[in-house]
Amino acid sequence: MNLSYSDEQNMLREQVLKFCESDYTFDVREKIVESNYGHNPETWKQFADLGWLAVPFSEENGGFNFGPIELAVIFEEFGKALVAEPYLANVVMSGSVLESSSNELAKQTISKIIDGTTQVSVAFSEANNGYNFHDIETSIEDGKLNGVKTVVLNASFANSFLVYARNGDKPVIYLVDAKEAGVSVNSFSTVDGQNCGDVTFENVEVGESSIISHDNDASQAINAMLDLANLCICAEAVGGMTASYLKTVQYTKEREQFGQPISNFQVLQHKMVDMFMEAEVSKSLLFKAMLQLDGKDDEASKTISGLKAQIGKSSRQVGQAAVQLHGGMGVSDEMSIGHYLKRFTVIDALFGNRNYHLNNFSNL
Amino acid sequence: MDINFSDADNQFRQEVKDYLENKYPKHVKEKQNNGEQLTKQDMIDYHKSLYEQGWAGYNWPVEYGGTGWSPTQIYIFQEELGYANTPTILPFGLNMVGPVIYTFGNEEQKKKFLPDILEFNTWWCQGYSEPGSGSDLASLKTKAVRDGDHYIVNGSKTWTTLAQNADWIFCLVRTETTQKKQEGISFLLIDMKTEGIEVKPIITIDGDHEVNSVFFTDVKVPAENLIGEEGKGWTYAKFLLAHERFGIAGVPNQKYSLKLLKERTKDFADDDLKKKIADYEIELLALEFTELRTLAALANGGHPGAESSIIKIKGTELQQRLTEMYVEAAGQYILPYEGPEGFNSNNTPASNVSDFSSQAVSRYLNFRKTSIYGGSNEIQKNIIAKAILGV
Repeated sequence: MNLSYSDEQNMLREQVLKFCESDYTFDVREKIVESNYGHNPETWKQFADLGWLAVPFSEENGGFNFGPIELAVIFEEFGKALVAEPYLANVVMSGSVLESSSNELAKQTISKIIDGTTQVSVAFSEANNGYNFHDIETSIEDGKLNGVKTVVLNASFANSFLVYARNGDKPVIYLVDAKEAGVSVNSFSTVDGQNCGDVTFENVEVGESSIISHDNDASQAINAMLDLANLCICAEAVGGMTASYLKTVQYTKEREQFGQPISNFQVLQHKMVDMFMEAEVSKSLLFKAMLQLDGKDDEASKTISGLKAQIGKSSRQVGQAAVQLHGGMGVSDEMSIGHYLKRFTVIDALFGNRNYHLNNFSNL
Repeated sequence: MDINFSDADNQFRQEVKDYLENKYPKHVKEKQNNGEQLTKQDMIDYHKSLYEQGWAGYNWPVEYGGTGWSPTQIYIFQEELGYANTPTILPFGLNMVGPVIYTFGNEEQKKKFLPDILEFNTWWCQGYSEPGSGSDLASLKTKAVRDGDHYIVNGSKTWTTLAQNADWIFCLVRTETTQKKQEGISFLLIDMKTEGIEVKPIITIDGDHEVNSVFFTDVKVPAENLIGEEGKGWTYAKFLLAHERFGIAGVPNQKYSLKLLKERTKDFADDDLKKKIADYEIELLALEFTELRTLAALANGGHPGAESSIIKIKGTELQQRLTEMYVEAAGQYILPYEGPEGFNSNNTPASNVSDFSSQAVSRYLNFRKTSIYGGSNEIQKNIIAKAILGV
């Protein structure tokens, strides 16, 4: 057993941290979010130049062959800085689905993701299936794809979609160009400054050549994607919780009421200790989950469900306490602190919320 | 990073399992599994068994007769003890005064006390709290006045666990009244057979006699029983408390109890309880990995500091939640009161199912102590606020 990060992993963290501190301050982030749905093409190009878009891909696909630990490192730092760029949608989610496929189309798409020239989103969720992601109506018949996918992350910028559909009873994943006739995207900004959309497929012609994965492999690919995506957003939440308690401690030391810094008050101190503890135990569980996923442990999915449930509870507590201790400033949109709470709320809602994963953990 | 145990670790685990299976006292195991109260002799027996195995000093350095195990080995050892549902290793000698003596004591003290602690020839108890000094421990008033080559001790200690069995007590005493109250405190070892010591039981809300009041009236203590320097006792006390907090969470024992609770409630049509259990189990996993992270830091040359306060707070909260779930699961069958002696064989209620009887409620009541002892959880939060958050 060894719980220390490698030198390489520490260097990666340093690199992301440095970028966030110098090129991605809260003011910069706010401008990107306000003007362009959380995505700045120049920032994305920096990501590509730094090699971050290649992180989880295998060497044969031109990647660094890094795994869940390195992704968690990146997301923890992203969480601290509230990075809104569509890294999750492209590199983690589409990346995971594409990497699981061995066909040529998948390989070509990966290389374009790595150099930052294309964006791809996985379209899996539907209006009536809640968190039952395999219970889908989008289907293929006579070479034509029909259905509506909802809450597709980064739909505004996706050049193509990995569409989870069924062919008769069999699951299948197609890669469909966003410009294809019959594809329409209805985009929304999200509460946390990113974007998602409904994507409608109406008699879209798809051929065998655009199949990325089918049958059992397709549903497995979705499950593996959900595990990895959940791990990444949990790491992001851990980073966000860490930033939230540190910023709150700092604020209470500066804010004076009744003639003294409010950090002198024990009732606030204990609340901040609770925030700190929630961040730390969440981080502990994150360690367990990422190491199990990295080691392909059979228990990994269960632990990730446990982690997601824990994060749902802890991040809500931390996010709310951070706003509370900032007083009126906490509910002001110009301060960063409330934006963590927004992100935590979205993170809990994504890919199965606390309730869903608590049940899942109990039944696995 | 690597979550797996090495082959050597796994081999070591097997060694511990073999010991617990074949050499650990059978009568202790039986009583423990039946939820029966252990006698003083039972407790001595299992400590002696550990000594004979060479494992009593499981967290001591080799030079004082300890195992010199790595943090990972200690973790595995404790985990297997918990899985086997063995009773807690009493901390007063092995985890408290022992480390204080080998860290701060002189050569003679080491020679005189350490072997008997390891072999469990002496039973130690802890003289910290006083009627007027709980969380504000440094305000303690028990006085030790130097008189030639002796100290004369007057005052009283309270909540002294198992003092009724103890041969020795380690005490924080006031040797000087100073401006800063921490500075006049000394660390003194006192033979319980000395004239002028009186032990009176305190019955706790679960009906058990576990803790006591200890009174000192003109008790004559040889000056050679002073640990370290006079007036430096507070430093040693804090060192001890940080050690005490480590392992206080009892994660392996909680895992064992959780397993039982899940088995016993698996047919319950109670989704609310199932969710509570899941929530608890997730928190327990998180706590376990928090301990592992602390162990890893220790292995890299750190020492248990304020982080151990997280483990104390979270660990005791979880222990208490577990006892609450047992009470909840037992429902009305907790009513027939069993008491510390157990039910009389011809007067046992028809509903009696070991853990799911009034034992559940006794344990629930008893475990209220966990968030109070070892520095109350509120004090732990003060420690974290000051030492980690810097407020």
